[in-house]
Amino acid sequence: MKKTWIIIKREYLTRVRKKTFIISTLLFPLLYILLIFGMGYIAKESVQNLKVAIIDSSGYFTAEKLAFQNSIDKSSTLLLVKEEAQKVIADHQAEGYDGYIIIPAMNWQTGTDSLFFKANKSYGSSSTTLVESKLNRIWNEIKNDSLQIDGEKQKILAGSHLGLSSKNIKDERANVKIAEGIGYVSGLLIYFILLIYGSQVMMGVMEEKTNRIAEVLVSSVKPFQMMLGKILGIGLVALTQFFLWIAFVLIVYNIGKATGGTDGITGQVVGNMQNLFSSVDVPLILFCFGFYFLAGFFFYSSLYGAIGSAVNEDMREAQSLSFPITMLVILSIAMMSAAIANPTSPLAVWASIIPFSSPIVMMARIPFGVPNTVPWWQLGLSMALLILGFVFTVWFAGKIYRTGILMYGKKPTWKEMLRWAFRKN
Amino acid sequence: MPILELQNLKKYFATQKAVDDISLNVEKGQIFGLLGPNGAGKTTLIRMITGIFYPDEGNIIFDGKKFDPINDVAYIGYMPEERGLYKKMKIGEQAMYLAQLKGLSHKEAMEKIKKWFIRFEMETWWNKKVEDLSKGMGQKLQFVTTVLHEPKLIILDEPFSGLDPVNSNLIKDEIFHLAQAGSTIIFSTHRMEQVEEICDHIVLVNKGKKILDGTVKQVKQDFKENLFSIGTDQTTISADANAPFEIVGAKDHSYVVRIKSGNSPNDVLRHLLQQNISIHSFNEILPSLNDIFIKLVEGTPTARQFQKVTA
Repeated sequence: MKKTWIIIKREYLTRVRKKTFIISTLLFPLLYILLIFGMGYIAKESVQNLKVAIIDSSGYFTAEKLAFQNSIDKSSTLLLVKEEAQKVIADHQAEGYDGYIIIPAMNWQTGTDSLFFKANKSYGSSSTTLVESKLNRIWNEIKNDSLQIDGEKQKILAGSHLGLSSKNIKDERANVKIAEGIGYVSGLLIYFILLIYGSQVMMGVMEEKTNRIAEVLVSSVKPFQMMLGKILGIGLVALTQFFLWIAFVLIVYNIGKATGGTDGITGQVVGNMQNLFSSVDVPLILFCFGFYFLAGFFFYSSLYGAIGSAVNEDMREAQSLSFPITMLVILSIAMMSAAIANPTSPLAVWASIIPFSSPIVMMARIPFGVPNTVPWWQLGLSMALLILGFVFTVWFAGKIYRTGILMYGKKPTWKEMLRWAFRKN
Repeated sequence: MPILELQNLKKYFATQKAVDDISLNVEKGQIFGLLGPNGAGKTTLIRMITGIFYPDEGNIIFDGKKFDPINDVAYIGYMPEERGLYKKMKIGEQAMYLAQLKGLSHKEAMEKIKKWFIRFEMETWWNKKVEDLSKGMGQKLQFVTTVLHEPKLIILDEPFSGLDPVNSNLIKDEIFHLAQAGSTIIFSTHRMEQVEEICDHIVLVNKGKKILDGTVKQVKQDFKENLFSIGTDQTTISADANAPFEIVGAKDHSYVVRIKSGNSPNDVLRHLLQQNISIHSFNEILPSLNDIFIKLVEGTPTARQFQKVTA
């Protein structure tokens, strides 16, 4: 046990002191924020500001109406074309338009579904939808005028509507939006940790094998201790990184609260966080996160470690052998989306109980509420099975590791590795 | 009392009898040569002694008791042929780590590392990484980490490969030192001139079996072919049918003769003196270990063949 502890210490310290650890710990939250804002920004920027010629035969679309809408909504420019219509149809680009729309003669009571934005290029629906909604606003105006609905009535028509959202009557605090958010974030975090730190275990084992230090070490400690030390050491690194992130969030939160900003982004963040703390059982979620994170890590990293011990320095060998395991993790994330969309469906329930997918799927379900969405028996069974699962994979991996770490030469197949695991002594 | 006693050890792999019924004794304070061609089963044998493999059959008695890998490895130092160190780890920390894994406390380990680093002039290396070292420097570090915890039994697999003559001598002196101080050394190599120089006792294994066991002196006696070299100023020595020897080689004024069975070296001298031949030198030619090695191993295929093992 003492030797395992020495190994854990080395694995932990060498990794935590590396520059890459410090950089990745700092950069990950920044990248995460950038990703969220960046995607919004890119989505906004990718919409083109179209200049559209309107060739109107219905007589409803007047230059004033278009000009008025252009002044409120600057996402596109609609211009009425009369005399140059033939020229625009012949070559709209030469006339300075991105495309044109021919509006046929029609009745204001029926409208039409067959308008086309005609252009030399294809445009995405995100650009044309903006033009479409602008045209519809003008069309509403035209209808209102024809029906003689004045401004007062228009306000009533636009403003009054019925809204519907779901409410959990057993758990007053439950907020589906927040539960979905927490479910996604914790499921994805576990997913990243399993893949990133799992492959770190694999690389670490491969390094020891190709360096041939494995042979020196196994003459001092048992192979099982070596493997356990590595898994625990790297698991502690992941835990450290995770705590640093939580600390980071709490510091930002408290600074935001202390500076008392109620407006702007900080105010918004603080408000959201208060909302979050009040709508979910934070200690339970943190406890479960810690559990599923560690147990899932043991479950998968021991398998990755076994693969690292079986292959030589060739990364491709490692990738092809670890593919089935990586697939299990990716399958879990696919099931997570389904579980968040419908947290009580049979798929969600079983995927959150079966060990290989439970770390990710159960973590996505828990924010919806325990014991209403996730009954205690499901949580208990899921945890118990996951513990059994990782005890089995660690044992299984230890058997493969013991043989693999000193074998050089051909890459073994999964079948051979199974034979190593189940033979006596 | 032997420090290590192997009794009928067997280790079969799926396609090879790697170690097939080997017994041997290693006495305390001995420098013991474990020899054999590539793939003879030396590494498997060593791995059983270091507790890495369990034998399929047979017993290992270490220091008078049945070998207990978990506790006894603390008294064994093993330097494998393939060097193994963490490339990115600082040298001082690496030595400390390996020493602690052998069960030394931080304080003990620090004292010993300092002593050895000073002796090997490695003090300035502490904060360097292994990847900064040359192959020979890495070798020295590996040697230090092997003997640091003052093991009773030290197993060195090709300890001189990659070392220049100066550093080879340094390590060689340390090996003698350690043996004098009471450590037992098992020394595995293909380089027979080193074995002759260093070892007291040798065992030769081939194809998983022990084919030779004895002191270097004894082995040489056993394999001598009654050859003598004679230096003379005579241009010719003739050996007729009555002579107690036959000539097997001649070069300038020296001859190599084989004494016929039933005769002694004195018979040869008497015969030569009767012929009035003046003799400058008369030496027995003992076979070199290299010759013995080649003679014993020759004829067996150079590479071991894979076979189906039914054990």
